[in-house]
Amino acid sequence: MVTKEQVEASLTSKLKPIHLEVTDISGGCGSSFEVEVVSEQFEGKRLLERHRMVNAALEEEMKEIHALSIKKAQTPQQWKPSQDSATQPKDA
Amino acid sequence: MAAALSSRFLKTVRCNRLASVYQNGMMRYSSSVPSDSDTHDDFKPTQKVAPGSTDSLKDLVENDVKENPVMIYMKGIPEAPQCGFSSLAVRVLQQYNVPVGARNILEDPELKNAVKSFSHWPTFPQIFIKGEFIGGSDIILNMHKEGELEEKLKDVSANQKSQ
Repeated sequence: MVTKEQVEASLTSKLKPIHLEVTDISGGCGSSFEVEVVSEQFEGKRLLERHRMVNAALEEEMKEIHALSIKKAQTPQQWKPSQDSATQPKDA
Repeated sequence: MAAALSSRFLKTVRCNRLASVYQNGMMRYSSSVPSDSDTHDDFKPTQKVAPGSTDSLKDLVENDVKENPVMIYMKGIPEAPQCGFSSLAVRVLQQYNVPVGARNILEDPELKNAVKSFSHWPTFPQIFIKGEFIGGSDIILNMHKEGELEEKLKDVSANQKSQ
């Protein structure tokens, strides 16, 4: 069974996030996680590509993870405004 | 917990439009007819693609996404999603007046693998719009919130005959 710590370790080593939040939402059955990742590496990448990067970082874990929800995959610039106001950052 | 979650979603899901499209659009392949897990082998669809014939499954997926402006590979069927994420994606797509083609990947592990390798995406649901891979439920929800989905589906709804 994949632990929260394993997910954190893989994401930290591969994406070098400045903010990372992994939440175990399995409720004790299977392995389900919600993740928020803020990383420089997302710069200039579309959301789909960012999600692909997260999936790739967790390639090994994904074999055992039942559900992975990527709540946030943002660049540091996108992340900052939402910290203060807790509203959706609009970059368009 | 997962079971409780999906049954909660089930109650709120409205699938009339999707249901008809699902039948009209997809039944002709007859490879993903909904069936109970305890259905006897004799009653299972016989047209299943033979194991190992990944090429034809790839063709089938290619054909799906080409012929259906909006195509979802999901757990369960639009009328009865078997996973909260699939349910969420279906409900998002229902906000737009577009026909949605759907296949239940729980019915066919070979198809599941074929879709995964087609899109290079590890999880379900998977949504394709006009042949382009869009992503899973997190992405479709995000695009919905940001107004990107409306933009993407604009000409899809315009192209459909009124039903």
